[in-house]
Amino acid sequence: MSNQMIRKATAFEIFNHWLLAVSFFILTITGFAFLFHLEGVANIFGGTNSMKLWHNYGGLVFLASLFLTIFNYLPVSLRFGPDEIGWFLKAGGYLSRKATVPPQDIINAGQKLYYLFILFAGLAIAASGLFIWLRPQVADIRRWVLLSHLIHNIAFDLFMIAVPLHIYLGTLANPGTFRIMVYGTVPLEWARKRHAKWVQRLGY
Amino acid sequence: MARKALLISPELCIGCRGCQTACKSWNQLPATKTVNKGTFENPPDLTPNLYNRIRYVEVPSEANMVRWLFVSQRCMHCEDAGCMRICPAPGALFRTKEGAVAFNKDKCIGCKLCVAGCPFDVPRYDEKDKISKCHLCSDRIAEGLSPACAKTCPTGAIAYGDRDELMAKAKKAGYEKLYGEADLGGLGVLYAFKDAPKIYGMDEHPAIPETLVFWHKVLKPLAYIGLGGAVAASLLHYLVIGPKKDEGGE
Repeated sequence: MSNQMIRKATAFEIFNHWLLAVSFFILTITGFAFLFHLEGVANIFGGTNSMKLWHNYGGLVFLASLFLTIFNYLPVSLRFGPDEIGWFLKAGGYLSRKATVPPQDIINAGQKLYYLFILFAGLAIAASGLFIWLRPQVADIRRWVLLSHLIHNIAFDLFMIAVPLHIYLGTLANPGTFRIMVYGTVPLEWARKRHAKWVQRLGY
Repeated sequence: MARKALLISPELCIGCRGCQTACKSWNQLPATKTVNKGTFENPPDLTPNLYNRIRYVEVPSEANMVRWLFVSQRCMHCEDAGCMRICPAPGALFRTKEGAVAFNKDKCIGCKLCVAGCPFDVPRYDEKDKISKCHLCSDRIAEGLSPACAKTCPTGAIAYGDRDELMAKAKKAGYEKLYGEADLGGLGVLYAFKDAPKIYGMDEHPAIPETLVFWHKVLKPLAYIGLGGAVAASLLHYLVIGPKKDEGGE
């Protein structure tokens, strides 16, 4: 068995994922504080008035970072074929230790779906947040704000369910995965098992 | 302390607008220049510097060509207040011990969500984006005085007192049902209407927007439940099925 490492993520991709993650955590913590009037949390951010600035400008960073992910993940996420369907039929092999799944791209079918969800929900939460913040001069503004408020909170709830699962799958559930977010490289053998189609395309 | 309220009797109102002036005087609100648009109603809407106003409602009919109704418009001090529900800033909107919905501009973060949450389109924003609205002269009533508008009203069209007493008095005077008796958990501003509320330009059944109720009852708890559930599911998976292992050297 060789110890050869191959690069799975570029330095930019790693940086951008951290940017997305950090802005997401700031938005989540401040969002929770606004939602449940957590004054102790608000004080960490300098009171509710400045916490609003953290939340709003953090949202801009999140949106910019989300936009940049498109170049890394959108084209591959839209590639959806029998191998992806097969992956889902076996629940990604997560429900049994013996399950095997069809060969996958650089990201597997679950990651593809997760990315499309993040892109969609992220754009929804950003657009609705911007609407509430900037309050454009439109007729019936109160109804539009209520609709934005609703979308903002539905997307938030979905994030609260999806992101912990994403973190679990990227750390504890798959030992050796988290190093991608640090070094960007993975052992060739590790990649062969999980991303066979990608490794094959690379010519190993 | 017994909940305080205002009882508005449009038929007693002579449209003098002393209440508007007294309110501005007590709350130190500047006047605004307006233009005559062919009605005596002035100003045309609530503003950050106009907490209350008299709406002039003309209801001409065959029987009465000049039926003219004067209806006081202001914050209703709802028991179940949409503005307070949606407000994300603790302490920006608060309930006084007399039952008024008051505000603290220092704690307001200027998000303007309360404008959307109010069923009566009452909250306004000042030049610093801070909330501005009738607070039932909370500083006066805390000292046992009546609000400036009620104090100055020469006809008793705006009466201030214990909510229960005002209601009992109105019932005795022959009003079977007051507007605001039960809506939104009971309004802090009651109206003794002699006709259907819509004649006076009021919503027949005012209610907090459905999306706001859904958010409050479902989406808010779901944020915690969803987060907790996802973490719990992850832990359970880790314990029951466990991580994917690489049995090296296949």
